[in-house]
Amino acid sequence: MKKERSKKYRAIQALRVISQILFFSLFFYLLLGTHFPGKDYIGNVEIFFHFDPLLALTTIIAAKAVFVSFVFAAITIVLTFILGRFVCGWVCPLGSIHQFFSFVFKKSKLLKPKKIKNNLPALKYYILVIILIGTVFSLNLVGIMDPLSLLYRSFAVGVMPVLNHTFSNVIGLLYQAEFYSVADPVAQFFTTLDINSLFTQVFFIGLLFLGIAALNIHRERFWCRYLCPLGALLALFSRWNILKLNIDPQKCIECNLCTIHCETQANPFPNHEWKSSECIYCFTCSSICPTNAIRFPLKTMLESIETVNLSRRKLLFTSLAGLVAVPFFRLSPESKRASEKLIRPPGALPEKQFLEKCVKCGECMKVCPTNAIQPALKQAGPEGLWTPMLVPEIGYCEYYCSLCTQVCPTGAIKELTVPEKTQVKIGTSWINKNRCIPWKFGDPCIVCEEHCPVSPKAIKLLNTEVKTPEGEIKTPLAPVIDTELCIGCGICENKCPVVDQPAVYVTSVGESRSEENQLKLDLISGSGGIY
Amino acid sequence: MKRRDFIKNMAAGSLILNMNPGLFSQSQNYPDLAVIQGESPSQITKEALSAIGGMSRFISKGDEVLVKPNIGWDRTPEQAACTNPEVVKTIVELCFEAGAKKVKVMDHPCNPARRTYVRSGIAEAAKEAGADVPFPNEHKLKKVPINGQKLKEWEVYRDFLETDKLINVPITKHHSLSRLTLGMKNWLGALGGNRNQLHQSLDYAMVDLAAFFKPVLSLLDAYRILHRNGPQGGRLSDVKLHKTVVAGVDYVAVDRMGAQFMGMSPQELKYLDIAHQRGLGEIDLGKLNIEKRKI
Repeated sequence: MKKERSKKYRAIQALRVISQILFFSLFFYLLLGTHFPGKDYIGNVEIFFHFDPLLALTTIIAAKAVFVSFVFAAITIVLTFILGRFVCGWVCPLGSIHQFFSFVFKKSKLLKPKKIKNNLPALKYYILVIILIGTVFSLNLVGIMDPLSLLYRSFAVGVMPVLNHTFSNVIGLLYQAEFYSVADPVAQFFTTLDINSLFTQVFFIGLLFLGIAALNIHRERFWCRYLCPLGALLALFSRWNILKLNIDPQKCIECNLCTIHCETQANPFPNHEWKSSECIYCFTCSSICPTNAIRFPLKTMLESIETVNLSRRKLLFTSLAGLVAVPFFRLSPESKRASEKLIRPPGALPEKQFLEKCVKCGECMKVCPTNAIQPALKQAGPEGLWTPMLVPEIGYCEYYCSLCTQVCPTGAIKELTVPEKTQVKIGTSWINKNRCIPWKFGDPCIVCEEHCPVSPKAIKLLNTEVKTPEGEIKTPLAPVIDTELCIGCGICENKCPVVDQPAVYVTSVGESRSEENQLKLDLISGSGGIY
Repeated sequence: MKRRDFIKNMAAGSLILNMNPGLFSQSQNYPDLAVIQGESPSQITKEALSAIGGMSRFISKGDEVLVKPNIGWDRTPEQAACTNPEVVKTIVELCFEAGAKKVKVMDHPCNPARRTYVRSGIAEAAKEAGADVPFPNEHKLKKVPINGQKLKEWEVYRDFLETDKLINVPITKHHSLSRLTLGMKNWLGALGGNRNQLHQSLDYAMVDLAAFFKPVLSLLDAYRILHRNGPQGGRLSDVKLHKTVVAGVDYVAVDRMGAQFMGMSPQELKYLDIAHQRGLGEIDLGKLNIEKRKI
């Protein structure tokens, strides 16, 4: 029999791929552009997140506040009402990655699509329920699984460091071969990209991302099909949309190709079992159909349609799971008492509000000019997994920089001007006299004082009498901290020549954002001015 | 000419001079130091250079030149933590006028280079004059013998080793350990490794490095002087307008002049004493032929 595939739908499919490439490129371009722009203020590089209705919804519920930037999310919702989940198929950059991997795995015969009858697509709705129940109790877990947060974090903290390191190795080879004329401009170019590549969790977050991509070996677009909570949310709005699948019974030969190759288990055949809420309008079915029987005509009429079967019992159960998740994620010492190593970026809200808003996207980690901001693992408790914290041994807070405050998509880090930022204290520095070179050996050093960025300096040098291990009395200039002037930026810890465990170190005490985590009784001023 | 040959020639030349100090003094009547004061950083730089014989005295046609300003800190020119960008730009222009083939301007800063290069204004100014402004690149670090009194070997960026001529363009700043950071201290910016450990023997390290790098010309920017809270300052009140530059071949003498601006005697600056004792330069202002002018 001669195949009569639809040229029209094959063209639409090609358009879809172009759209996916464009949106992914835009996402990647904004990601690459999230670094010191050569001036103090960076612009809306985080705009992608503001189109995400899941982030909008959870942030608004969890923080019990309306966040103006998220008006763009309304556009996504309106479009989904009209066109269905086309955002998943045509726009979402994580969806495009999954489609790409699915394509590769299919071509390499690792993935052989078959007709599947299971109710696993319901899983993503239960995940959504757990997340939403949590947000009612101000537990914001959305960042773990929101596709944009997941993708951005994976790229900023996992993929980009790996790529950067690989390129750096290649550049190293060029230098070894003395190809200076090539190596110099290439190295210069990579430096201007400012790719932070020292992260505590490159391995963990990178591996998770690879794992999620590898799931496509099992099922096409596994993530979109079974796990994505944003997909589930959009599906709720995707019932009354105007494009409805229609199979011409005269032409259909019941080959089942459409259902086998459906990327999201929307089940095109038989026609009445097609699920509008699962369809991402990739048009694979209509273009793969050998008899050109499948079309998507405009239908404005509301009609009862097939949806994913959510059992009431399971919904009840997942709601309970959502309830249990709250203490499960929250009962840890970190929620009762400030953690010494949890140094939040400048402008971070008080811890409770911060956790309500932070979606763990990694924008701040990408933009930080010193690579200081790292994803937390356990320092902020389970609830604070992958939230940003400064690790001064890796990087420090650059004095005249407020970039992390500008790129935060949810305002978990309050936007600050550079002069405002220089007034924020994120911690306090301490000298470990047992390890400090002047204090311990009586020898000169003062590296911490030299690097202290505030004026007058928060690290003072005092002529101090020191008894060396040989019993000799020396009077070196030894550093002491003025805790009132210290802003906790951590450059002292970062630059301390005692490498393994710096002799000067920062802890979170004294941070402007906290009323409790303070050193001295202060009855007059209360909490810091900008909060 | 390779840098190594150049150093050899310099060594040979200085040997001849040592044996017969009067040999060239008749033919070259240039002052040891030019100290020029004026409103425009660019003008005083040009004037200082022409006073000591013009850039063509130091730079030959076809030379590759590396200009080493202080671009150490994420600070603006007004804060006087980095060399004045106009001074750097003028030096680059003069190098090209003297026939330099290529001029590089670079430093290994304390804050991220991507920020300091921009915010100091130096990258833009140097590029306008036609210089390359490469970022320090770890692949170009090379451990080399310094053969100093204390410093035996260290990692140095190859850019500093593989250029024909080095010109040092430091700024005058307060520093708690060395007391002042001037020309000799500026060479820490050519190093990689855990250079912060050098502070444990900073005075010797500075002298060893200066003797190793041996610039053909030193031009000290004292247009704005950071008189306290160095080496990065912060408040504008930490800065004094001095509107002066000092140019000279004798880098010890240039630093000695900088100390004079800050009201310090050579006895207060141990490294000047060490450098002088090693015969690297003169610290007695009375023995120096100084051309001092205001324009």
